[in-house]
Amino acid sequence: MKKCLLVITMVLMSISLVTPCFSAEPIKIGALYSLTGGMSSIDTPSLRGAQLAVKIINKNGGLLGGRMIELISVDAKTDQKASAIGAKKLLSKGVIAGIGHSDPSFVLPSAPLFQKKGIPFVTSGATLPTLPKMIGDCMFMVPFGDDDQSFAIADYSFKSLGVKNFVVWTDNSMDFTKTLSRFYKQRAKELGMNLVLEDFFMMGDKDFSAQIARLKNASPKPDAVFISSIPNEAGLTTKQIRENGLTLPIVSGDGFDTELIVSVPGKELANDVYFSTHTYRADPRPEVVQFVNDYKEEYGVDPENAFAPLGYDAIGLIADAIKRAGSAEPKALKESLAKTMGFKAVTGEISYTRPSGVPVKGVSIISVKKGIYNVEEIWFPNTK
Amino acid sequence: MNTNRPRYCLAILIVLMAAVAFLMESQVNDYLLAIVCFAGINIILAVSLNLTNGFTGLFSLGHPAFMAIGGYTTALLTFSIEKKPLFLPDLPQWMVSLHLPFLPALLVGGCFAALVALIIGVSVLRLKGHYLAVATMGFLIIIQVLLNNADSITRGPLGLNGLENFTNLYWVAAWVIVTIYTCWKIKFSSLGRSLLAIREDEMAASSLGINPFYVRSFALIVGAFFAGIAGGLWAHLITAVTPSSFSLIMSFGIVVMVVVGGTGSITGSILAAVFFTLIIECFKPLEESFGIYGIGEIVTSLVLISILIFKPSGIFGTNEPDFVLGKHKP
Repeated sequence: MKKCLLVITMVLMSISLVTPCFSAEPIKIGALYSLTGGMSSIDTPSLRGAQLAVKIINKNGGLLGGRMIELISVDAKTDQKASAIGAKKLLSKGVIAGIGHSDPSFVLPSAPLFQKKGIPFVTSGATLPTLPKMIGDCMFMVPFGDDDQSFAIADYSFKSLGVKNFVVWTDNSMDFTKTLSRFYKQRAKELGMNLVLEDFFMMGDKDFSAQIARLKNASPKPDAVFISSIPNEAGLTTKQIRENGLTLPIVSGDGFDTELIVSVPGKELANDVYFSTHTYRADPRPEVVQFVNDYKEEYGVDPENAFAPLGYDAIGLIADAIKRAGSAEPKALKESLAKTMGFKAVTGEISYTRPSGVPVKGVSIISVKKGIYNVEEIWFPNTK
Repeated sequence: MNTNRPRYCLAILIVLMAAVAFLMESQVNDYLLAIVCFAGINIILAVSLNLTNGFTGLFSLGHPAFMAIGGYTTALLTFSIEKKPLFLPDLPQWMVSLHLPFLPALLVGGCFAALVALIIGVSVLRLKGHYLAVATMGFLIIIQVLLNNADSITRGPLGLNGLENFTNLYWVAAWVIVTIYTCWKIKFSSLGRSLLAIREDEMAASSLGINPFYVRSFALIVGAFFAGIAGGLWAHLITAVTPSSFSLIMSFGIVVMVVVGGTGSITGSILAAVFFTLIIECFKPLEESFGIYGIGEIVTSLVLISILIFKPSGIFGTNEPDFVLGKHKP
């Protein structure tokens, strides 16, 4: 009985703490990010970027003649059930659009619910290129697809690094890494490169001596190794490969966009590493500089990783579409989003011109030489 | 049973659930419906795990594995034939043409999970106590890795999505009633008494002619069947399944419900399941207003710790509460 009373009191307390919002018809946007759990190091900066964008827009007078944006954030807890429930909760609050998630396995439970209600969902970080096809016309992506980033680094390997023979290491536990490898091999084959050896590991592996031994014995001698992994394994593989005296270039996708590839091996060994990623790091474009300054002013630190500007861009994309549509109705917003052309996002220009629904965006190729990051070039899909 | 009280309770429960289901389906928004459906699925999970863990004392951490088997089987069977080549291009031909409506698919999923439980049981049920827990945990990991790598059938780590949203409150309510009724009947029968005897003292039980292996297998199989059903309902509520959906964390979540409710008490598991589902949702407004995420989980842990300190056998222990049993306890 006492326990019942306790629960009831807590329920009443928590309900009374929900602050109501009275203002001129705010524009409600829902944010579904995993603020606890394994994805939190990627999703928390995304949410912060989005909140920063909302703050700046509201400070400059809001949208559509004074309507403020209200960002309702729900924690997806790196859990699909929580993502699905979170999506339903946001929809029941009457949001006109949703943003969120940096991994397709959380987009897949949430976005179809938005699709069913005709509310657009903009993912800030999920890069699976088949997402719009799988879910429907309410699904929009801010980042490029995994196919583009793999093609970009494959082209760079062939043209700039002169790679003929290569080895592929794939993290077999994640769809993202398997997709990256698949597209890299596909483009490499088209370019006439030769796959010497294919090796595998799992997320969480700490020791790569077996793979390194096979790499050393690979014949013909490989000119580069493509490692498809996420940040933790990125640092470890770079360190162990270089410690074993192998100096061949290491190439990868945006899983390598992390401080770990310099901090784990150390500045000396973090050499000859190249990866493709979202364009923002060391980029002199005015919107990038503005974003980095605003972020630092608001939160006191530089943007932690590429997902902060991606979250910022998700809100920017929706705001731009609302302005062009002249309304915040979900249907008009959806059509306006689909017509986005040349939107100057922090992470590159976004245009939805392809039937797959994946944005045509520039991909940055970044090199790491003795611990220094440098943007080598920006690759565009429509040049192919 | 000496009294008719439990029958009245069940009848009232059925009528209540039917009324609630009808009202909610027509009035309430999707979000609240989803919460109530998850509460129902958790009831099925907690009560079926109670049969394995509580009555028989088999500390099984493998319940999510059976959920995964049931969930994936049901999903593959309800997947429309046009969609299959699109999502699963490498599926073997005989599987492509298989298509069943929801109920048969659920039953097949449950039976398949029970079949796997039978096969696993032969080796795992020789172990006792902690060793059994670790073995079932190993089984869960094996199933996860299998689902992750059998790309042609399960689409690997990305899992299956775009499932039909079949699960509504009526289905969940119906299966909750079936699960509660089945487990109640088992508990208050001679078979149930054998289960309790095995839990208390296996040597004494076997000296009285109870075959421990058959009885324990039975407990594991029935528990697995309902876990498979719950997995199928779960999959069609979220409309997506991946190998990581059914994790060790979920396994501990269900064990917590059984422990808090009372190892062996059906009413206890029902109440604990509902309580734990609701508490996470109730704390969400608090989390969002103050930005301190994770409060709901902390409260859950505190509740578990306090129960373990003050009432280690759970709220109701092994018994059902008096008002459900009727004044005269058997």
